[in-house]
Amino acid sequence: MESRKAGAFDVKMLAVIGVVVAATVGFTSGYLIGVAKQPETMSIVDDYGRTVKLSGVAERIVSVSPTPTEILFAIGAGSQVVGVDDYSDYPAEANNLTKVGSFTLNEEIIISLNPDLIVCSDLVPRAKLDKLAIEQGIPYFIFATRTMEDVYKDIRLAGGLTGHTTEADQLVTQLQNRVNALTNKTLATGVSKPRVYIEYYPLWTYGPGSFGDDLIRLAGGTNVAANASSEYPELTAEFVIAQDPDIIVYTVGPMTTTTETEIAGRQGWSGMSAVVDDKIYSMDDNLLSRYGPRIVDGLEQLAEMVHPELFS
Amino acid sequence: MRLELKDLSFSFAEKLVLKGVSMDVADGEFLGLMGPNGSGKTTLLRCITNFLPGWDGKILVDGKPMVSYTPRSLAKVFAEVPQISSTDFPFTAYDIVMMGRIPHIGSRLEGETRKDMEIVRTSMKRTNTLQFAERHFSELSGGERQRVIIARALAQQPKVLLLDEPTVYLDISGQFEMMDLIRGLNKEERITTVTVLHDINMAARYCDRIALLNEGRLEAIGTPEEVLTQENIQSIYGLDVSVRKDPFTHSVYVMPRSARAPPKRHGARVHVLCGGGTGGPLMRALVENGYSVSTGVLNVLDSDYENATDLRVPVVAEAPFSQIGPESHGENLRMIDDSQVVIVLPFPVGPGNLKNLEAARYAVERGKRVYVFRADREVAYDFVGGRAESFISALTSSGAMEVRSLAQVLTEISRLGGAASA
Amino acid sequence: MLILGGLALLLFLSAFVAILVGTLGPIGPGEPERITFSEAIDSIFSDSTYHWVFWNVRIPRVLLAGLVGAALACSGTAMQAIFRNSMADPFVIGVSSGAALGAAIAGFLGLTSIAGIGLGMPPLFAFITAILAAFTVYVLGSVKGRVYVDTLLLSGVAVAAFLGALVSFSIYLARQQFHQLIFWLLGSLALARWSYVEILLVVVAIGAAVVYLYGRDLDALLLGEETAHNLGANPEPLKKLMLGVSALMAAAAVAFTGVIGFVGLITPHMTRLVMGANHRLLVPAATLSGAIFLIWADTLARTIVTPDELPVGIITALCGGPFFLYLLRRHSMGRES
Repeated sequence: MESRKAGAFDVKMLAVIGVVVAATVGFTSGYLIGVAKQPETMSIVDDYGRTVKLSGVAERIVSVSPTPTEILFAIGAGSQVVGVDDYSDYPAEANNLTKVGSFTLNEEIIISLNPDLIVCSDLVPRAKLDKLAIEQGIPYFIFATRTMEDVYKDIRLAGGLTGHTTEADQLVTQLQNRVNALTNKTLATGVSKPRVYIEYYPLWTYGPGSFGDDLIRLAGGTNVAANASSEYPELTAEFVIAQDPDIIVYTVGPMTTTTETEIAGRQGWSGMSAVVDDKIYSMDDNLLSRYGPRIVDGLEQLAEMVHPELFS
Repeated sequence: MRLELKDLSFSFAEKLVLKGVSMDVADGEFLGLMGPNGSGKTTLLRCITNFLPGWDGKILVDGKPMVSYTPRSLAKVFAEVPQISSTDFPFTAYDIVMMGRIPHIGSRLEGETRKDMEIVRTSMKRTNTLQFAERHFSELSGGERQRVIIARALAQQPKVLLLDEPTVYLDISGQFEMMDLIRGLNKEERITTVTVLHDINMAARYCDRIALLNEGRLEAIGTPEEVLTQENIQSIYGLDVSVRKDPFTHSVYVMPRSARAPPKRHGARVHVLCGGGTGGPLMRALVENGYSVSTGVLNVLDSDYENATDLRVPVVAEAPFSQIGPESHGENLRMIDDSQVVIVLPFPVGPGNLKNLEAARYAVERGKRVYVFRADREVAYDFVGGRAESFISALTSSGAMEVRSLAQVLTEISRLGGAASA
Repeated sequence: MLILGGLALLLFLSAFVAILVGTLGPIGPGEPERITFSEAIDSIFSDSTYHWVFWNVRIPRVLLAGLVGAALACSGTAMQAIFRNSMADPFVIGVSSGAALGAAIAGFLGLTSIAGIGLGMPPLFAFITAILAAFTVYVLGSVKGRVYVDTLLLSGVAVAAFLGALVSFSIYLARQQFHQLIFWLLGSLALARWSYVEILLVVVAIGAAVVYLYGRDLDALLLGEETAHNLGANPEPLKKLMLGVSALMAAAAVAFTGVIGFVGLITPHMTRLVMGANHRLLVPAATLSGAIFLIWADTLARTIVTPDELPVGIITALCGGPFFLYLLRRHSMGRES
C-alpha cells in the first residue's frame, strides 16, 4: 500500500540534482585570475621537474624553508631575500627579515613584500603556493634535497636564480673539497665501518634514501637502519639492541629532552657497545637537517664521532 | 465519520498480534477498547492510523479505504492522544498545540494564518490550557500536559479521536476530569472517539460501547451491560468478579470477588461479623494464629473490607451505599454454614447491615460456636432504635458466649481444638 | 521576526568588520605595512595596491567562514531534530571521518596541489569519501528502508571509529605531510577561494531552504515518530531527506575547510535556548548565528598569533569546553529543583 508522494518530494529531487550539478561544475572547472606578466626571459627547472619562468634574476625572494634561506645567504644573495618563514633563523641576518608564517603562510604579508619568486623545500604544503602562483602570478621553486650531490646542485640552481653563479660555483668547490678530504679518510680501503645509530627523536631515525643515511655512509659508518622500511622509520628498541650500534648520536633541537644518561638508562640498552664504550654523542639538529652548506659542518662533526682516530 | 474494520490481521516478527478483527464504529460513538496486556489494543490503533503498515484486511474510513488517504489527509481524520508525551526541547504549550494545524497548513511556504491561531486558542480554551500557552511543555504536570495534547488533537479538527490509555499517569481527580472532557468533546463536537482503557469501571461509566480484545481477537462488542459480564471478565482477565449496577450512575460496576477458597489450616473455620473497622485486629490475630477466616457482609467502602482483602480473607461484599441485598445475605449464610465458629464484633449497626445480626442468630440456630463481643457502653453502635441491642441480648441468651477481649476469644477457640472440626 | 532581522544585520556588520581585520590592517597588527582605512576602502572598490589582498584573500575567506558556519549550524539543527537529541552534531553520521580519510588519501597519493583541476583533489576526494561514509552509515542504520535512529547513531560511531583508524594509518604512511593533515583535521579556512564560496553558496542556499521548509515537520518529529506520523509529517521520507541534506551541507563544508567542530553542536543548542524550539524560527536563526560565530572565530584565529594562524577548529573547541560546563551546570541545577 503506497501513499501518494506529496509534491514536496519533487522539490527534493530538484534540490539534489541542482546541488550535484553545481558541485560537479564547480569541482571540474578551473578558476583563474589572469595577472599581467612581464615577458619571461629565464626558465629554470626545479627539483620536482617543474619549469619555473622568471623575467630576470630574482630580486625579491621569499624563502619559506630554512634550507633555501641558508643557501641563498651562503652564496651572497642575502640582500635579494625580502621575507623568510619563522624557522629560518640562520644566519642572524635572516632571522631579522620579515616573517611570513610557517605551516600556514600569511598571504597578506607575502603580497605586501611584493616578491618575484618564492623558494621552498619539498616538505611545505603547496596549496597556498599554488594559489599565489595561479592568482597572483608569483612562481615558486622547490628544492628537494636528498644527497650531497643534491646540495651542490641546489646551490648552483640558487646561483642561477639570483645571478650569483660565480659565488655558487666557488661555494660548491669549497664544499666538495672538504667532503673529499673527509671521504678520502673515511672511505679509504681498510677503514672500519662502525655501526652508527642516529636518533632525532626517541627511536626515530634516518632510513634508506634519507640524507642522514647518506651522511653516515660518507662519515665512514654503517647505518643500523640501512635496511629499514622507509626513509624516516620508527624503530623498535629490540631492533636497535639487536643491531648493537657502536656509536649513538642524538640530535638536539628546541624540543629535545633526550640526554646521554637517559639513553644509557633505557631498558636493555646497558649492554650495547655504544653504551659500554660510552660513545653517545649529541649534535645540533640543524646541522643534520638543513641541507645547505652547513650540512658539511654536520658531516665533519659526524665523521669525528665515527672515526676519532682519523681526525685528531 | 464511520470507521469500519473488516478482518483486520497484523503480524509482528512472525507472531500474529491481531487476528481477524472486524468491527464498525458508528459516527459520533464513544467506543472503549479493552483487554488484558498484550491483547493488541495499541497495535489496533496503530494499524488504524497506518503507523504500522503491512496489515491484512480492510479498513474503511467514511466508506473509503484508508490506504487511499495520503498521510496528510489521514491526519485530518484521525487525531491521537498517547499515554504520555514528553520532550526535552523547549516547546511551549502553544507550540505543541499549533502542531495540530500541520495537516491543515497549505504549502510549506506558508506560515500559520490567523485562522490557525484562532483554532489553537479555541482548542486551548476548551481544554482549560490557554493559561499555559507561553510555558514550556516540559514544565507542566502530567495532567496539564495531557490536556495540552488533547488541545492539539482538537486543533487537528479530526473526525475521529483516538486515545491510548489517556488517564494512566493521572491522579484520580485528573482521571475523571480527563474523561469528562473527552466525553464532552465526543458529545458536543460529535467527534467519533475510540479509547483504550484499563479501568473497567471507568469504561463502563463513559463508553457507549465497549470492545473486548483478547490475544488479538475481538471477543465481545456491545454496551457495557452486554459486554462486562462475569463470564466475559472471568474468561478474558481470569478474574472472579461480581457485577453490580452503580446506584448513582446506573452504570455497570465491577468488583473483584475473593479469589480462592480459604486454605484449611488447623481446625477451626471462623466467620467474622464486623464492620466499621472493628474486625481488623481480630481477623489479623486469627489469621496469624493459623485459623481459616471469612467475613461478611461488608460494604466495599468499609475499612473492614479493606482489612479483609489485605489479609486475603474471603469476604462477602456489597456495593457502596447499598443495603445488604438478598444475594449477599445468602452468601453470608453459606459462609456461616461452612464455618465452625462465628464471632460477632461490636460493629455499628444500621438498617443497611442489620441483616448481619440476623446472620448471627442463624449461626446460633445452626449450632455454631458463637462469640459476641460486648460493646463499650460509651460508644454508640445501635442505629436501629434499640433493635441491635435486643438482637445481641437474644444471642447471648440463646447460646452465644459473651467475650470481652481478643485474648479471651482466642483462648476459647483454641480450647475447641480438634473437637471443632465438625 | 525582529530577532532574525537583527541577526541578519549583525551578520552583515560582522562580515564587514572581519574583512577589515588582517595582518596588514587596518584593524590588526599591521606588520609590515599598515593599510589605512581609506586605503582599505579604496582597495576594495578600485584596482589599487591591496586590491588583491581584499578580493582574493580577505573577502572570500570571510564569506567562506560565514557559509561554513551557516552550513554546519543548519546541518546540526537538522541532526538534532532527527535524533531528538540536542547533543547531536553534523558529524554524527561519519561525515568528518569520511572526509578526513579522503584528504589523507589525497595527501598520501601526493595530490596536494590545487593547480589545474578547479578546486583541487583534496576537496574533491574529501567530499566524495564524506558522502560515501554518510551513505554507509545510513545503510547500516536502516532496516528494509526504515531508518532507525538509535541504530543510525551506533552505526555512525562504528563507522567513524573504523575510518578514524584508517586515517591514523594513512597519516602514519604519509608522515611527511603530517602537519598538513593536522591542519586539515583541526579545521582551517586558510585555503579559502572564490570557487569554494560559490559552491558552498549554492549548497547552503538549497540546503537551508529545504530544512526551513520542513521546519514544521521537524517540530513534529521531535515529539516522536508516531506523533509525527499522526500529524501528517510522514517521518520516513522526512528523516531521509533531512539526513541527505544535512550530510550534503556538512560534507561540502568539511571538504573545503577540514573538520571544524562544535559549531554545528553549540549553535543550534544556544539558539534554541533563546528562540525556543519552533523550527521555522530556529532554522534561520541558527543558520545566521553559525555564520556570525565562525566569522568571528576565524578572525580571531588569523590574528591571534600573527604572522602564523591557529587552525580555527582550536578556537571553536575552546568554546566547546565552557559550553559543556555550562550545560552541566544547568542540568545539575535542574536536578536539584
